[in-house]
Amino acid sequence: MDSIKGKPKKLESIVGLSLLVVLILIAITILITQSDYDMTRFGVGTVLSGPGTEKISLTSLVPAGFETLSEETYLADNLYEKINGKAPLYIESGFVKLSSARFLSKSDENLWMELFIFDMANIKNAFSVYSVQKRPDVEMLPDMQFGYRTTNAPYFVHGKYYVEFIASSKSDELFKAMIETAQKIQANLPPDADTEIPELSYFPHENLAAGSHKLYLASAFGFEGFTDIFTAQYKFGDETITAFLSRRPDPQDARLVAKSYHKFLIENGGVAKPAITKALEGKVVDFYDTTEIVFATGPFVVGIHEAENQQYAEKLATILINKLSQAKAMSND
Amino acid sequence: MTNPNDKYFNRRRLLTRAGKAGLSIAAAGTVSYLLYDRKGPSRLSAKSKDLVTLADFSVPHEAGDTISIVEGPDRKQTVTKAIELLGGIERFVKEGETVAIKPNVAFASPPMLGATAQPELVAQVVTLCLKAGAAQVIVTDNPINDPASCFMLSGVGKAASQAGAKVILPREYHFRHTTLEGGKLIKNWPIFFGPFAKVDKLIGITPVKHHARAGASMTMKNFYGLLGGRRNIFHQDINTIIAELAMMVKPTLVILDGTEVMMTNGPTGGSVSDLKRANTVIASCDMVAADSYGCTLLDLKPADLPYLAKAQTAGAGTTDLESLKPIMGTV
Repeated sequence: MDSIKGKPKKLESIVGLSLLVVLILIAITILITQSDYDMTRFGVGTVLSGPGTEKISLTSLVPAGFETLSEETYLADNLYEKINGKAPLYIESGFVKLSSARFLSKSDENLWMELFIFDMANIKNAFSVYSVQKRPDVEMLPDMQFGYRTTNAPYFVHGKYYVEFIASSKSDELFKAMIETAQKIQANLPPDADTEIPELSYFPHENLAAGSHKLYLASAFGFEGFTDIFTAQYKFGDETITAFLSRRPDPQDARLVAKSYHKFLIENGGVAKPAITKALEGKVVDFYDTTEIVFATGPFVVGIHEAENQQYAEKLATILINKLSQAKAMSND
Repeated sequence: MTNPNDKYFNRRRLLTRAGKAGLSIAAAGTVSYLLYDRKGPSRLSAKSKDLVTLADFSVPHEAGDTISIVEGPDRKQTVTKAIELLGGIERFVKEGETVAIKPNVAFASPPMLGATAQPELVAQVVTLCLKAGAAQVIVTDNPINDPASCFMLSGVGKAASQAGAKVILPREYHFRHTTLEGGKLIKNWPIFFGPFAKVDKLIGITPVKHHARAGASMTMKNFYGLLGGRRNIFHQDINTIIAELAMMVKPTLVILDGTEVMMTNGPTGGSVSDLKRANTVIASCDMVAADSYGCTLLDLKPADLPYLAKAQTAGAGTTDLESLKPIMGTV
């Protein structure tokens, strides 16, 4: 008999059962997914898996006479839990991961140090956070590409890593241990493919204050459009002059950025003033009694920032132009 | 030929089945709606009757007895003098009272780096409170790093204990929700409440520090430690949250340690070269006034710190130091 009498056909039964099975499967999938949601959204510090989050083995970095007290790993999501208000500086500079460890002296429980290895994704990012936080009047570390020491700790760049230490006290023993760990880092931790920053070579060497290079990845000098700006300081007599440059993708972009910064200076109280050097005419701005110079040459944005002495500022700007012209000529060969 | 009764039967059956299906969908939808959690587990909320409010621990004060500024190289001496100039510890702590001291122990950092309150300063204030006859002195904070490590490595835990205080580390059950009246950010938010629930007086102790986000970290920012949950989200509106902290917390007294000031790379610092010796300790019943003076040690003006103006507007204190007739001293 047919279905009018209330007895379903075989096909109807099969379809009905299939639908039920599908619904049950959907319900099971939802239950499984709900029981395993991403806890990092909800404040639990969990290390995510995935590229760039592989744990660095810090045990191999323990200096002689010390033991590991603790090891921690932080990602962008919970970096503030370790370094609080400093976190945005790193996150905005391409931060990937922080691996930290505390090492305790086996012979003196009051002697401990903490190691911070910031994975910044590439050497430029690492150099940026290193340079903008660099303390003044420090001693440069001779065996490091970029490194210095204060009275209590060393700070350096190793490829894509920015490394710093804190020490429980000012102690020769602790400092020696930190240097030993630094050497182990250089020997054992692969720095990444890129270990050079070509832009630094574009700065002339004459009168250059050693170790004064900085890299502002964003908003250099308070101007939002100023990204990837390298600076260096030069000594002219008693004056210290800051030069800056940035390599842009092409000359058109360089001209655009230079023009934008010039406009920014004028809009914020700067006044265009005559140049002493003819070649710099139209590029000099008086900014609250300091001299700003900005222009483009080839793919470079170049300039001088807040110089007290216009003559020295223009002299340095001219030296920069010559140096970059040589660099352009060499790259065209 | 189709029997007319067959057609009618199919239509009725269809309508019946459709009706049943509709009811099932409606029932499922209703249950889903009732179970739906809009806020999600990241924002646990409390019913209004479960909200708490921090007590007002302040003491009456007026011009001439609100803020003292003492210069000297020894913290124990300068803080003692600073409190003495305001009338002595007995003005603030009565016999038999319980005192909570909230030092800045935010980081697992050694004392020499100046990122946390100095142990000897905390110990001296504990000693003074006990001398005044306090029944108990509690020292507590809700640090950014692991609490046990922070209290141990900063030296504050040991110094406080040795001075006779009870050190309390934060536990989950210490946190309760609060809503700040007139607040924009502190709404149904967990705060570190337990240790402060039954104390009579509250004293804050913190160093003067540069802060990468706020410009400075001083007496008002010190009470960031009372915030629980994912408090880092407030960094996006740092000036407002600091002002709201000043509205939420009314301490008896704050001690601002400018003996060694963290001039740069704050709030964690990391090198002794970040510090500059200023040999100044400030004791104040007005946090806004304390911070207004403290910022000058960082070579700043009150106008450089937007949170000061916000706090003043909210009635938490004044940036007009002259109006308070600060008492100056030297040891």
